[in-house]
Amino acid sequence: MVNKKKNNYVSKDKIRNNFERKEPKNIILSIKKASYRYNDAEENDYALKDVSFDFESGKIYAIRGRSGTGKTTLLSLISGLEKCTEGEIIFDGKSLNGMNLDKYRNSDIGIVFQSYNLLPFMTASENIILSMDANGLKIKNKKEKAIELMEKVGLKENYADRKVLRLSGGEQQRVAIARSLSYNPKMIIADEPTGNLDKQTETEILEIFKKLAHEENKCVIIVTHSQNVCDTVDVIYDLKKVKDVSASK
Amino acid sequence: MFILKNAWISIKRNKGRNILIGIIILIIACACTITLAIKNTAGYLINSYKNAYEKEVTISFNRENMMKDFNPSQEEEKQKAKEKFDNISSYTISDVEKFADSDYIESYYYTYGVGLNGNSIEKAEIESNNDIPNGFGHGKENNMSSTDFTLTGYSSLDAMSEFISGTYTMSEITDNAWDIAFNGNYVFINEELAEYNDLKLNDKIKLEDEDGNIYEFEIIGIFKEKEEGNTNAMSMFSNSANTILTNASAVTNITTSNEDLRSTISPTFIIDSYDNVEKLQNEFYEKGLDENFVLQTNEEEATSGVSSIENINSFATTFLSLTLIIGGIVLFVINMINIRERKYEIGVLRTIGISKLKLTMQFVSELVIVSIVALILGACIGAVSSKGVSNALLESEINSSNERTEEIGKNFGGENMNGGMPDRGGDRGEMRGKGMPVVEAYDSIDAVVDIKVLLELLGIGLSLVLVSSVASMVSIQRFSPLTILKERS
Repeated sequence: MVNKKKNNYVSKDKIRNNFERKEPKNIILSIKKASYRYNDAEENDYALKDVSFDFESGKIYAIRGRSGTGKTTLLSLISGLEKCTEGEIIFDGKSLNGMNLDKYRNSDIGIVFQSYNLLPFMTASENIILSMDANGLKIKNKKEKAIELMEKVGLKENYADRKVLRLSGGEQQRVAIARSLSYNPKMIIADEPTGNLDKQTETEILEIFKKLAHEENKCVIIVTHSQNVCDTVDVIYDLKKVKDVSASK
Repeated sequence: MFILKNAWISIKRNKGRNILIGIIILIIACACTITLAIKNTAGYLINSYKNAYEKEVTISFNRENMMKDFNPSQEEEKQKAKEKFDNISSYTISDVEKFADSDYIESYYYTYGVGLNGNSIEKAEIESNNDIPNGFGHGKENNMSSTDFTLTGYSSLDAMSEFISGTYTMSEITDNAWDIAFNGNYVFINEELAEYNDLKLNDKIKLEDEDGNIYEFEIIGIFKEKEEGNTNAMSMFSNSANTILTNASAVTNITTSNEDLRSTISPTFIIDSYDNVEKLQNEFYEKGLDENFVLQTNEEEATSGVSSIENINSFATTFLSLTLIIGGIVLFVINMINIRERKYEIGVLRTIGISKLKLTMQFVSELVIVSIVALILGACIGAVSSKGVSNALLESEINSSNERTEEIGKNFGGENMNGGMPDRGGDRGEMRGKGMPVVEAYDSIDAVVDIKVLLELLGIGLSLVLVSSVASMVSIQRFSPLTILKERS
């Protein structure tokens, strides 16, 4: 049965009740009726339609959905790599439509990918320092700061000078998380960050994200279809196909 | 700083590719340096030729105008033409001086001729009895055909065109001839006349005008005429056998003392540009030159010698264009491959917030750094090679120039210019090059590859780099980072 409801998502808040959710205190990102259609798509062929989500600082979120529901599209909109066709995204009170999105990406948010997306010809610390340089951070000893960040995500100092290709998947993902933290962003966006990792490593990585959210008051958004991840997060947003919207848990 | 730092890291990382790009740019730079040096040399030669031929203007009789509407079969027409011809007013030394006082004229010289008879010497003459006409005649002798000798006065060395062209060559000359030749009653006589009258250097000769006034001259040189210059087939003497050469002031003294004497003046004006000839002609008419005279230039003669060099110049331009087009295409393709190979890197850098502009600048900087190193090396190799190439190109011109310089020296009576010619300062150099540029071999590299060539090379190199970088610039603008990263995943 086709549900004609416009909103194609449901959310589950494990911590707060419905009343609290309706009046969030610390919204860092707000998606308001965002729709996206590819340039070459037909007029009504939306990859994402009328999505409205709110994200608070200090919480960890999961965006869940089957293939083709627009998870990656939503991620590219949140991370400022694409712009909404309709609707808008508000970050920290400002619309992304009027922001310098390069600056937004290298100052306000950190992005972590499933395939880590580190530069293979660089060492672990060089990858992190590159991100600091892109941000224009003025730190005297950038390598020291990089090592500090690596230690924070569970990597020892001696990993700093290793080429990333000599690191395991879990280690590379830790480097990617350390890179995303290099300029202390307010929000971390992760696209299937544990998709290539074993269960044990997945749990360890998720622990890092939880710490970032709950101890450092960052907003962590994880795009996933892993049940393990969904069990860990504070809030789950389910994305459904645009014309097949149904309630989730 | 961040851009340059990243560019440098990238250059070090992709050594193979950057060495390949460097080699291509080095070859282009080398070819460009040699080509630009050839163009420079060709330009130098063209200028040398054009400078060697001073821009000369002479006054000549406008026969075309005179013969217009002339019908020789009608006696009345003939009579009219004769009257018209007789009414043409000639010009005098003072007219020439007046004409020369013009903004368009840099300098001038002239020959001044007058007919005299022998007093102490006899005319060299053994004519055939066969009455064969000589056509329209040959120069000054015919003008002064009623007298034994033509006394031709030169205003300066520049005016002695017969010696410069080699028609006359000095066979004997006194040591101080050139110190006194232009000031006083001194003459150069033809060796046939000298032999005919048994004359030698430092002998004195006497000539007289139609009124019996006698003029005495001292012989300071004996010249001969080239055999091929002798057009009088029925005379055993050359055309110039009875031509006596002196200075213009000596002739002026004669014509001043006897104003009835018939004289001819052939002025040559050195002008600043051929473009002004028409204006100069109008100025001459305003100053009293008869409109049956026109001005003629040596422009055709001056430009004919440079056509082969201009061909080399144009070939060099074509070669340069082809090198740049082929080099540009190769660089463009390498850049395209480079961008494809580094798509993932671009995606990552864009994702972590490096702007398209910074990324473009980084890619262009990488190419510029490699190019500058290659351009410097290419320019050095090209400069060393082009010295040889340019000198090889100039070789025939250098030889011709040296031979010509030596020949002119000999024509004026010396083994070389220093011995036989008077010291005339800067003018002497011009005299040496008259009709043939003074071309010298390049003995230093900076003479071939000067700052102009280096700047041109830098401009060409950087333009090529920028044009070939268009591929990377456009790709960076078009790439969607997420798509790139998804493809990679």
